[in-house]
Amino acid sequence: MSALTVTFVEEDGTVKTLGAETGQSLMQAGKDAGVAGILADCSGACACATCHVYVDDAWADIVGGPNPIEAEMLDMVADVLKENSRLSCQIRLTPELDGLKVTVAPLG
Amino acid sequence: MNVTNSPGVCPVTGKSAELLTKISLVDPDISAHPNAYYDAMREADPVHYDEKLHMYLVSRFEDIQTIQRDPITYSVKHGYEAQYSAGFFEEFKDILERDGGGYFPDAIMSDPPYHTRIRGLMDKAFTAHRVRELEPLITDIVVDVIGGLPASGPVDIVKAFSVPITIRVICAQLGVAQYNADKIQRWSAAVTAQIGRMQDRDKMIENAREICELQHFLIEHVKDRQEHPREDMISDLVHARIDGADEPTLTFKEVVSLVRALMIAGNDTTATAMTNLFYLLGTRPELAGLLGRSAGDDRAMSRFVEELLRVEPPVRGLSRMTTKEVELGGKILPAGAHLLLMYASANDQPEVFPCPRDFDMERSNLGRHVSFGGGPHKCIGLSLARMEIRVAAREVAKRLANIKLEVSAEEIPYLKSVATHTIEHLPVSYTKL
Ligand code: HEM
Ligand code: FES
Repeated sequence: MSALTVTFVEEDGTVKTLGAETGQSLMQAGKDAGVAGILADCSGACACATCHVYVDDAWADIVGGPNPIEAEMLDMVADVLKENSRLSCQIRLTPELDGLKVTVAPLG
Repeated sequence: MNVTNSPGVCPVTGKSAELLTKISLVDPDISAHPNAYYDAMREADPVHYDEKLHMYLVSRFEDIQTIQRDPITYSVKHGYEAQYSAGFFEEFKDILERDGGGYFPDAIMSDPPYHTRIRGLMDKAFTAHRVRELEPLITDIVVDVIGGLPASGPVDIVKAFSVPITIRVICAQLGVAQYNADKIQRWSAAVTAQIGRMQDRDKMIENAREICELQHFLIEHVKDRQEHPREDMISDLVHARIDGADEPTLTFKEVVSLVRALMIAGNDTTATAMTNLFYLLGTRPELAGLLGRSAGDDRAMSRFVEELLRVEPPVRGLSRMTTKEVELGGKILPAGAHLLLMYASANDQPEVFPCPRDFDMERSNLGRHVSFGGGPHKCIGLSLARMEIRVAAREVAKRLANIKLEVSAEEIPYLKSVATHTIEHLPVSYTKL
């Protein structure tokens, strides 16, 4: 396990940069650090959309788009959906994602 | 309540504060047809003290959210204990200790940090991706049950369709191969009645006997999996482990209570959602076309199922208890106030879901309904439930037509319970395709 750094911008603009481990989900890293708005009601089961983030433009290609089950879940929050929407529990942290920056989506 | 689907026009329901002073949620007519009562509460007294229940009914979406986000101030453990077998608890517990192999308090009906540990140990069995792998198995079960229906009905859809499907699915998941479906339904009803607040003492004793039988059945399975682990949920729970934790595994008592919770929590609820599908198809015939058009499309089916759950939520009211004085919805609640979260009312709130009684699967905020609760206690079985309902709806669309209720909506019998809104019998006719 190697340490990397990720950044969350909370809804009110607060920037939180925190340490994370590869293999962890982005949601877990955010939740452990108490990032506001990462509620993760379903604990990462891809079934609640309370870990919704917008991936920073610079990272969009590296992170990639949602998997099919995730896309269906995101469709349930269409009112706050954007092109760069992801559920952070579905982003597994790898060394390439060191420095990743995301913005927490509103809960609608 | 009848519904028009003309754009921009909602049917208006009677909103009158007078409703609130005269009646209670435990009055059978209100309990069966509660929507106007919910409207009145949200409008006139959103945190309403029900004299008969001795509970505060919390009816507004935003207040329910506040409660869900603060599981320490609003305790599930104390709320549940005050609800559980209310009025007869000591006697109930004695019966289980004497004849039921023990009293196993519900480990999941607890507060953080204990609850966090229990959820963590249960969670692995429940991801949406794992559930997706169950689709073929669930499809086989649904197709088989539809195949066994008579050519045209009328049949009681609860007994002929909803209950057998959900029982077969959960038993397959738990790894229970040999069972008597009638017994499981009786056991479910007996457990669910403990939070329904509408059982008398005779009924409590009868229910306690059923629960004793259920526990002996489960204890045998748990003991078996301790020795012989298999690929099933009972084994998952028996052998669940979080390395490095203070208490890395579940105790025997915890496992029995959780297996019981899984067997029961998902049964009545998921079956009711399937029955509600027929209820809606029977009372809003225009939905048949919509379902037919959606059946081949995963996105549309997800939305259809979600709107079905929003419009007719199987679980309408679960409890909490305040652990300190707190202000909610403009009212000061003392410590120890017993609350009922009216999920069904939050789903009906027009500021959140415009024209709430319309079935509109294109709502942009469909995922905000609270039929599965929210916060750390959000339903753990929601992916399984969604999958079962989706497959059931899809196969019904493919295999049955001309679905008609053989009773008027007013005659439908509902279970006496404040916790769920459960149709007990629904005679339906149809033609097979
Ligand atoms: C349509 C079907 C279902 C509905 C409407 C439903 C509804 C709910 C609701 C509203 C809660 C929140 C409880 C609260 O706020 O206190 C809940 C919790 C729970 N549900 Fe479900 N449920 C369904 C299916 C299932 C299934 C299939 C299972 C299991 C296989 C299940 C197991 C549970 C458990 C164990 C909890 C407690 C979670 C906790 O407190 O952490 N449910 N359910
Ligand atoms: S934590 Fe529920 S969808 Fe990500």
